[in-house]
Amino acid sequence: MFSYITRRVLLIVPTVFFALSFLFFLFFTLPGDPVNLIAGGADRNPNPITIQQVTERYGFDDPLVVQFGNYWKRTITWDLGESFRTNRSVNDLLGDKAVNSVRLASWALILEVVVGIAVGIVSAVRRYSLADRFTTIVTAGASAVPVFVLGFILQYVFAVLPNKNDFPEWARIYTSRLGPDSWSLFLIPRGDQWRYLILPAVTLASVSTALAARMTRGSMLEVMRADFMRTARAKGLRERQVVARHGLRNAMLPVITLIGIDFGSTIGSAVLTETVFSWPGLGSAIADSVIERDLPITLGLTLAVVVAYSVINLLVDLSYAWFDPRIRLGQGEAN
Amino acid sequence: MRLKRRGIKLLALFLGLSLVAAACGSDDNEGSGTTTEGTEAPDGSAGGDFIDLGTIVGDPLEHIDPALNSTLDGYQIINSIYDGLTDIDATDPASPKIVPHVAESYEANDDASVWTFKIREGQTFAGGEEILPSTFQRSWERAADLAGDYSYLLTFIDGGAERLDGTADTLSGVKVDDEAMELIVTLDAPYSNFDAVSGFQLFMPTPEEAVAAGEDWENQPMFGNGAYKMETARNDEEIKIVKSDEWAGDYNGDTWDDRLDSITFRVTADPDTSFNSFEAGEGDNGSIPPARVADIEGTYGNTLGVSILGSYHFVLNDRAPEIGGEENLKLRQAVSMAIDREEINEAVYNGSRTTSTGITPPGIPGFKEGICEFCTYDAAGAKALFEEWQAEGNTQAAPLPIQFNADAGHEPVVAIIVDNLAAAGIEAAATPIDGETYFSQLADGVCVICRAGWFADYPTYDNFMFDLFHSTSLDGNNFGFVNDEFDALVDEAKQTTDKDAQAALFQEAEGILLNDATMAIPINWYRGDYVYDEDKVANFPQTNFGLILWEQVKFAA
Repeated sequence: MFSYITRRVLLIVPTVFFALSFLFFLFFTLPGDPVNLIAGGADRNPNPITIQQVTERYGFDDPLVVQFGNYWKRTITWDLGESFRTNRSVNDLLGDKAVNSVRLASWALILEVVVGIAVGIVSAVRRYSLADRFTTIVTAGASAVPVFVLGFILQYVFAVLPNKNDFPEWARIYTSRLGPDSWSLFLIPRGDQWRYLILPAVTLASVSTALAARMTRGSMLEVMRADFMRTARAKGLRERQVVARHGLRNAMLPVITLIGIDFGSTIGSAVLTETVFSWPGLGSAIADSVIERDLPITLGLTLAVVVAYSVINLLVDLSYAWFDPRIRLGQGEAN
Repeated sequence: MRLKRRGIKLLALFLGLSLVAAACGSDDNEGSGTTTEGTEAPDGSAGGDFIDLGTIVGDPLEHIDPALNSTLDGYQIINSIYDGLTDIDATDPASPKIVPHVAESYEANDDASVWTFKIREGQTFAGGEEILPSTFQRSWERAADLAGDYSYLLTFIDGGAERLDGTADTLSGVKVDDEAMELIVTLDAPYSNFDAVSGFQLFMPTPEEAVAAGEDWENQPMFGNGAYKMETARNDEEIKIVKSDEWAGDYNGDTWDDRLDSITFRVTADPDTSFNSFEAGEGDNGSIPPARVADIEGTYGNTLGVSILGSYHFVLNDRAPEIGGEENLKLRQAVSMAIDREEINEAVYNGSRTTSTGITPPGIPGFKEGICEFCTYDAAGAKALFEEWQAEGNTQAAPLPIQFNADAGHEPVVAIIVDNLAAAGIEAAATPIDGETYFSQLADGVCVICRAGWFADYPTYDNFMFDLFHSTSLDGNNFGFVNDEFDALVDEAKQTTDKDAQAALFQEAEGILLNDATMAIPINWYRGDYVYDEDKVANFPQTNFGLILWEQVKFAA
């Protein structure tokens, strides 16, 4: 087990190297000359002198291979460089954004796990009941409504209308931004922070919660028909124990995979939610940097996302063994 | 100057969405919907902390250093922190005037090639450093070192080009006498509007700390000689400026002592989020999404009535065989006449813009209404002109491509133009191109009919005619419009010191551009786009440069 974990952790190194190298070279195939853009050529024709100075300052006149080598030399020493456009340190930027993304993604994950799995179980156990039909409709709707539409409607209903109708202060929720940025134990919102967190977290969790509920229901229904469930009931276990100990644990593998992937993508790709709610996270910063051809930001922030993905994948794989003791990680390789 | 680029493809989606919100918007907030244009602040409460949600809309600002910034959003903040040699007195929006500010007076020699600024005594930066003529020399050389987008303005000064390209150590055209408080600037070529340019952000004085910090200055708590300063460094969420007690006052010497204590500019992702946050009571102003104009008028205070000195237009490529050249003049004129600018304004912008009759907008000294002879909608006339063009043996081999940067709100404008042209018998096709590619292609000069826009940097006619259309301009003229007569008129106008004679020359040049050559098609002039709650904010003046006069903003009593 330990050697398995060590090998998987070491595998993150080539993953990060290939992902970022691929991005680095891909950047130079994008239309839109970065030098021209940095020199102010987004909608004007910049001064040739400015272009020349930008070229020299950022080393764009070096051969691509030299630029590539320099990039990795800096990255290995944890110097992610500075933004082409704002001159701000990417290390600092990463520190700010990653924390916000992880917090938002974690709360979306909590909602997804708690609500999604609970709804899925209820639907499966009470198949074709009113509750099942209701959740089927709601989850189908939640998967279909685009994130930015939901976000916009939530803003209007829970923030704009209460303000327009002079609701008391305790009933106010805010539409955008990080808010006071006050947290306990990294993750627990303190003071008014929850008023800023709740709408983006619900919005970000909406689609994935619906998918988790659907998948839990499907997976549970399949497991409920299995022989070992009948055996468990025959042993005289109560239905609740049958569902929780035997059903749920076996049905969780595909759900855990889905949730793991979701968590990774909500950290790095929550562009729409972050945009609608002006939440300063990694996803929108990466998207903006690509549009603005700000390579140091694109690569620096992507580095964090790739590492996060790799670690989450590892945790998901480890969790398989916990959910299903028949799985012995790394055994095939050892043999 | 450009507005902050909204490099996000969501905008078009949100524009659609806001129609939904408009439909369910409540009308229970009664308001007069008046526009604030004047500069006399009504009674209100003193001080207060203002939360601005309407300025930084889109991504966080790239730059807030006067030597680096090129956006109007950034200039809002820079203009509050720094004061320049001159300022713009926009009390009469129809006729803004250049007035001395940090300079107590200035004069030019007869041919406007040498400008002498007398710097006011006893002015300091917020850090206490005295402002001397040499402060400007040092600040301009710093601007050359940083080589921001606007650094080309330094080439107006003798030796500026050499300083920029590194072949000279100093700006040879700048001489200072700190004893006599004189700053003497010799220009590379005579230029009678240099007083307007000298007050622009690139030429604003910066303290010695800025020189030491270089390009990192904007990431520190910046201070200058303006009404406000920063106490904390900017971040991606907000920029906060606080009252500077060292401020010497505006160009009239008025220190607006009861001005706001602080202004926090918060970053919002797009106009709809900005407006939602404003309506949710999270800030004191917001940005107006185009689709919400009708909802806002009569409900909230707004600056929709302020004509902004900016032009939304299309440029035509003289080198493109399907539209350029003398042989296609009638086709170009027919295209311009066929466009129903009122329909565009009503359908796309809810009537919130001014349909234009030229490129240069009202408020620019020398402006003349109705220069463009082919900007009045006349479908029958356009059809007749097009048929004349065909009768001369010309045919359309393919629909005319109308190119624009996609997902930035231009789709409905171009759709109407294509319909208008079809009604006149002219085949055209909307050709959206992703933003970065579009601007690269524009710079490479490969467009046919291309969307363009421009905001005035300072109130001069040449900021439109020279910067956009002169053949030697560094900015923008990349669509092949080379007209010796036009160039000569603009060159002569720039050097002409008599304002009436200068205006006549510029107007004549614009007539060539729009009528004799028809190389640009004006569509509309911009209007203000701030909304605020009149019950809370008593005064919110926006000049026609788009700048908010922050020292005059007041909360209601």
